[in-house]
Amino acid sequence: MKTLIALLLLLLGVGPVYAQTLTRDTRWSGELRFAESVTVPAGVTLEVAPGTQVRFTAGRLEVAGRLVAEKAQFTGENWDGLTLKGCDAQTRLTEVSVRGAKTGILVQGGSPILDRVTARDNEVGVELRGKSAATVRDGVFRGNRKVGLFVKDDSVARVTGCRFEANGKYGAYIYRARPAAFSANRFNDNPIGLMVAYFGSDPRVEGNRFENNETAIEVDRAAQPELHGNLLQGNRVALFLQRRADPLVTGNRFTDNQVAIKLAYSSYPRITGNDFAGNRLALQLEFQSSTWEREQGAAARAGEVAAVGAFGSGQGAKNVTEDERRPATLDGTIDARGNWWGEAGNLELARGGERGNPTFIHDGRDQPTFVEKGQNYPLDTVVFAPWSATPHVKASLK
Amino acid sequence: MLNMFRILLLLLIVPFFGCTQDSSSGLSGRLLFQDQPLAQAQVEIYLRADKDRSVQPFAVGNTDAAGNYRVELPPGRYFVIGKQRGEGADGHPRMLMADAPGNPYAVERGTTAVPPFNLREMGREGGLSAAADSGVNGQLSTAGQPLDRAFVYVYTETGSGLIGPSFGEAVQADKDGRFQIDLPAGRYHLVARRRAAGSRSGELAPGDLNGTYPGNPVEVRRGERLQLGAFPLTVIDPAVRAKRQAAGTFAATGTLLTGKVLDPQGEPVRGVHVFAYLDSRMVGKPVHISTPSAADGQFQLHLGGGGTYFVGARSNYGGPLEPGEWVGTFDGRPDHAVTVAKGSKQSLGPLTVREVW
Repeated sequence: MKTLIALLLLLLGVGPVYAQTLTRDTRWSGELRFAESVTVPAGVTLEVAPGTQVRFTAGRLEVAGRLVAEKAQFTGENWDGLTLKGCDAQTRLTEVSVRGAKTGILVQGGSPILDRVTARDNEVGVELRGKSAATVRDGVFRGNRKVGLFVKDDSVARVTGCRFEANGKYGAYIYRARPAAFSANRFNDNPIGLMVAYFGSDPRVEGNRFENNETAIEVDRAAQPELHGNLLQGNRVALFLQRRADPLVTGNRFTDNQVAIKLAYSSYPRITGNDFAGNRLALQLEFQSSTWEREQGAAARAGEVAAVGAFGSGQGAKNVTEDERRPATLDGTIDARGNWWGEAGNLELARGGERGNPTFIHDGRDQPTFVEKGQNYPLDTVVFAPWSATPHVKASLK
Repeated sequence: MLNMFRILLLLLIVPFFGCTQDSSSGLSGRLLFQDQPLAQAQVEIYLRADKDRSVQPFAVGNTDAAGNYRVELPPGRYFVIGKQRGEGADGHPRMLMADAPGNPYAVERGTTAVPPFNLREMGREGGLSAAADSGVNGQLSTAGQPLDRAFVYVYTETGSGLIGPSFGEAVQADKDGRFQIDLPAGRYHLVARRRAAGSRSGELAPGDLNGTYPGNPVEVRRGERLQLGAFPLTVIDPAVRAKRQAAGTFAATGTLLTGKVLDPQGEPVRGVHVFAYLDSRMVGKPVHISTPSAADGQFQLHLGGGGTYFVGARSNYGGPLEPGEWVGTFDGRPDHAVTVAKGSKQSLGPLTVREVW
């Protein structure tokens, strides 16, 4: 019977196939076209042979059973993409490419393996959600109009060795998730390479390379990731922290960026053990004030909470208490002790001492106040002493 | 001339007689918490039992220092709910709530007395406050086999049809399908669901599993842990689901709103649902939902009847907004409302949505 179904599908050739649910294990090969959704229910396996080209003009391929595909292409225009619902690690896509979909591959729960998958020219390349423990390795996410890879909804996926290139808004976006691994990935030529946003987004982002992005990493709205051992090079802004973003930034190398780290709106990270070299500015503070935070921060956030609702702003805020979002300390300083500021930087620090005003840091020493809604607020200052006399970062990151 | 004088006299007198008519019908009673009078609590009066969270109460009142309330109402039948939002002894946010046990209450002439009733404490997230020594235990199954990863939901009322976010508690069963829920003494309705995606909320899809506990309602007594035994779930059949949808959420009616979902640049957006609420806050469960907008942005929102609806649109339904979602409101009026006559088709024109990041 399996052979019969496969033969039937092959005989259909390039003619459109309409909505169907596979009732038995099935093997696709050759060139197939679908005008509506195809469902692979639980207990059924769909195997897609190497070289198979599957084209959808509408609908999606929805798999609640098992999908095994190798060197196959899934393409279309205005189609919904592949949906893997609760698929276990027996669902394996190897060297598969997905193009032209609303979401190339939507992984809802489960632990499928996406090995060397290419997601190109979709609205969203791959979205992992529903506590998915998917493995995404050595993939390519290129030219997706919004996001290359979305990691959401408590996903604990492993994302390693992937390339995120020239996506429309974000190379990758981590939202309320803590991937089991997010490392050894490369981000190039994205408006924002990696976005980590909203309270509850606290992944460890380790050993990745970010080059030539407008903003390499942005941390926003009370997210608290740990950024460790990454190379950030040649970006306009390497790390942008805003709206109560409090990451731990350690062991990274920031080099040849226009701005290495930019802070705004009550962000109080801990920045230590990093190397800064060749950046036009190592640290830039903008609209960053403990006084503003004390006077306006809670009220501003209360406004967000009050507006929470399906059609309000301030999304994601309703599960956050003010205690959780209030900075641990508010003394008008940013803690950036124990970093290596480059040969030239350290020479300058040696000349000015801990009370100096280094040219590579823009803070309250350079701009004492800023104006917000007609009122002056003092700009915070950076505590940079003591600093490290030698680089921290391994040669492999250079 | 005399007749004219009498008519004028009658016109002058009648309004005064009207003013002296007795209009003081209503409901009165007392709210309690742990058998003590509850001051500054809210009493909400509904016309129907299916008082889901999107329906505004017909009338509201407040309790005085002795926990007493009185709400003036025209003659009719009413459902009474007591609520109080405040802080618990340790300073945590606390929500007290309960239906009047004798609902509905008839109001004719004068004041109808509602017997005093206790409010129960809901948890910080709106759930029930757990009691360590009482609750329920059971095991989920499907086709006679234990079912892992499913969620069990506890509802205290059936008005929502045991669907939607109004459950008081939800727990996930373990790998053997076993679950334990600590509950205070009370009467509960249990349902269980397992979505293929593993999520706690969201619309069920074909292939997901669903079950209503056959022994509903379950009565939990103080100090008692009820053994529920097997709790079976069945797979949702696509044909049955489609049929239910056609008759339910997406039912075609003679009253509808149409329009086009557009992005801020005026380009059509597909895949966006349009929602109708009866409550201007537009929170909770909408009363009507459209199917996703088409590739050209067109949508049709069928309504159950005429009236004023508050209209919004977003990509998903259920849960907080997520980055990447489209969201917007009908802005033909500042309050996002539209009034539609029963049996009519009304165009809302463009409904602009924006992406949330």
